[in-house]
Amino acid sequence: MSDESISTRRSFLKGGAMLAAPLAAMGAPAAALAASADADERADRLARLEDEKAIRALHGDWMHRLSSGDRNGAARLYANDACAAAVAGIAAISPGPVGAQDALEIAADGRTARARHAATVETETVIAPDNTLAQMLHAQGEGTVRSREARMLAADYVKTRDGGWAIAGLAFETV
Amino acid sequence: MPSKAPLPKPMHRLNYTKLTEAQISAALRPVAAAGPAHASPLSDEFAGQSVKIVTDNGPTLAYQFSSDTRLTLSENGGSAVAAGYGALVHEQICFFTHLIPGTLRGYAVVIDRDTKAATVVEVWFGGFEDKREVMREIYQGYVETAGSPAPTKRHEANNRAEGKAWYWKQDNGWATLDYWSTTAYTHWVELSRQSEMGFSAPADYIQISEDFYIYTRTECEFSGSFTLYVADLNRARQIGMRLGFDWGDALDYYVFRGKGEWLGQIAQFEKFGDLRGGPLKPNPQSTGQANAAAADSKGARAVYRPLRTMTKLTKAEVDKVVKEKTRVFTNRLGAGNGTGGMGVHALPASNFLIGKRFTLRYDSGLAMDYRVESIDSLSWRKDGGAWTKAIYQAFEPAPGVILFGHLLEGEPNHDGHSIVVDFDAGLVTCFNGYLNGPYIANEAQARTLFGVIEMEGVNTPLYRRHQRTYDLVGRALTWNYSPTVTSMHLYSTPATTSWIIFTADGAGGLEWSGPGDFVKIRDDLYFAYWLEEACNGTLGTIVINMRTMHDAGIGYHCGSDGLSMSTVGALGRHAGKFDVQRFFESRKA
Repeated sequence: MSDESISTRRSFLKGGAMLAAPLAAMGAPAAALAASADADERADRLARLEDEKAIRALHGDWMHRLSSGDRNGAARLYANDACAAAVAGIAAISPGPVGAQDALEIAADGRTARARHAATVETETVIAPDNTLAQMLHAQGEGTVRSREARMLAADYVKTRDGGWAIAGLAFETV
Repeated sequence: MPSKAPLPKPMHRLNYTKLTEAQISAALRPVAAAGPAHASPLSDEFAGQSVKIVTDNGPTLAYQFSSDTRLTLSENGGSAVAAGYGALVHEQICFFTHLIPGTLRGYAVVIDRDTKAATVVEVWFGGFEDKREVMREIYQGYVETAGSPAPTKRHEANNRAEGKAWYWKQDNGWATLDYWSTTAYTHWVELSRQSEMGFSAPADYIQISEDFYIYTRTECEFSGSFTLYVADLNRARQIGMRLGFDWGDALDYYVFRGKGEWLGQIAQFEKFGDLRGGPLKPNPQSTGQANAAAADSKGARAVYRPLRTMTKLTKAEVDKVVKEKTRVFTNRLGAGNGTGGMGVHALPASNFLIGKRFTLRYDSGLAMDYRVESIDSLSWRKDGGAWTKAIYQAFEPAPGVILFGHLLEGEPNHDGHSIVVDFDAGLVTCFNGYLNGPYIANEAQARTLFGVIEMEGVNTPLYRRHQRTYDLVGRALTWNYSPTVTSMHLYSTPATTSWIIFTADGAGGLEWSGPGDFVKIRDDLYFAYWLEEACNGTLGTIVINMRTMHDAGIGYHCGSDGLSMSTVGALGRHAGKFDVQRFFESRKA
């Protein structure tokens, strides 16, 4: 998988430089082909940039919906039911910590993508209402324990039929 | 006027009649016409005047007062309705109340004559599962003055009043202790009825000025009666009203003046301006809020109604769950073996008792022999009978003082003993929990047993015993069971433990209460219990060490999930002490 990703995946490292193709060494007979290839390359690069932008926007939208309690809204961004299960117990998620780098790789066919997002995750554990004190906590709108910690979010994305992107997989890793 | 005769049962044990609308209407008809009863003369402050009150998000009330007992009211420009009323004035605070004939509702109005700010409290019989409980909706506004701009100042609900307590005696002779416990709840003791216990109810606290606050109390889960008064904090005076049906279904609708005493101020742990503790809106999804109104409905408030959601078992069902599902100190050797995290801060299990044999001889005649085999296993026999093995757990809350507990398997009422033994003094006190009480079979009951220990090397006293104490009466102690779970105990009478649930920010929220007992073990070391009667049925027993501010405890509970004995432990803070012991001195044996 890792070898394949080197040769076939287009990689973007947030905050890093993108590699340009070594065009200067090309000869004249190849100019037409080169021009054509150059056009393809530009189109490909543009498409890639648009995909990256769309996925970043999707990630931001998803974080906002999840953190604001709009679980249904977040679910509309998922490609499958497993994604909702993956965020059970998570009350909020925000970018960071500052300085951590996100990575995004889009597959060569442009149909799937994989990202790693540095995140601060706020988890919420419900206190079982099996005694009076806990029941009273719930009655006054509390009864949960929240904690925050840095996590790395591994996210998979798939392109939808309408050309947009959906979240296909979510996994949180401790850092 | 209130009856001062003692109640036939404690307030939480009475069966209040589910009054119909017709019954309530019939009772209200004469007082709606005549106005409220009163012991002191009514004020003629409003007689001959027209007063228009404009509220921010509620009604506009146009009054014409023809005398000191008669008015007409037009609500929102509607037809005028005539009613009786009563008014009282204290300093610049003007108060009046009336019902609206032909309806189940009325108003209580508080006006600051200096600022023209007004608090309008609409009250109506309509609460909860029947009409008996008085509902309230509070509107802020002002008295309209022709030719003058509307004042911008309003009375304000805030947390400044929280943590005070008062003794009040009304002009009709009715005397209470009122604890202003949280911004959402209050706790009160009916001294006039010689009530052993205090009770808790939802409340409102509205600041008029530095001197004056409006207090309301609705006795939800009890009679449903509504009390409102304006308290003058510095002069310790009150004017107010009471509306509702007492336990015998007699209608109380009267206004009163009162004189009082300030009994102290305990600590507040939240920030000024923090209203997360209240006034609370209902959370219909939560346990203990059965059939709660929608949070945005008129009059909606969070009311803790534990009896409604408590699992109630018959004696046969109790026998069955005890046989099939008894759990004793599950995960007993680790932290967190209490129910719902109440054992996270528990003391470590003690090995003090391992290898010891002794007899606990109680003054009731009960003799319990023990052989302790390990840190969690012992054998006991009662009155020389057969030996029975039991799981136990022991803690050492102070050197030489051991708290241990176990169930008495085979006893018909499924007894559990939570025992404090002072091995230096040779004294023992047992809180004996048992089931099959007279009200609900799975509701724990408790008796307190005093006695001595007989063991080689221990000098057994002949005459000395642990004693019940008033040392804790009026004290408030916060108990932090885990980093996010804190309850404050308020020992409001010699026989009451009240508990107040804190928000994450340290504000007091909901409150409830039950019987309690308090035994002095040593200086600054007490053995206490709270009994969740008509409220989940748990018996909680704790040894309070006022020097380490750490308690060690044992819980005893029976529900559909079985009979359990569990570990309790919390870190404490002293929130303060109210000057209330003196009100109970005459009750000492």
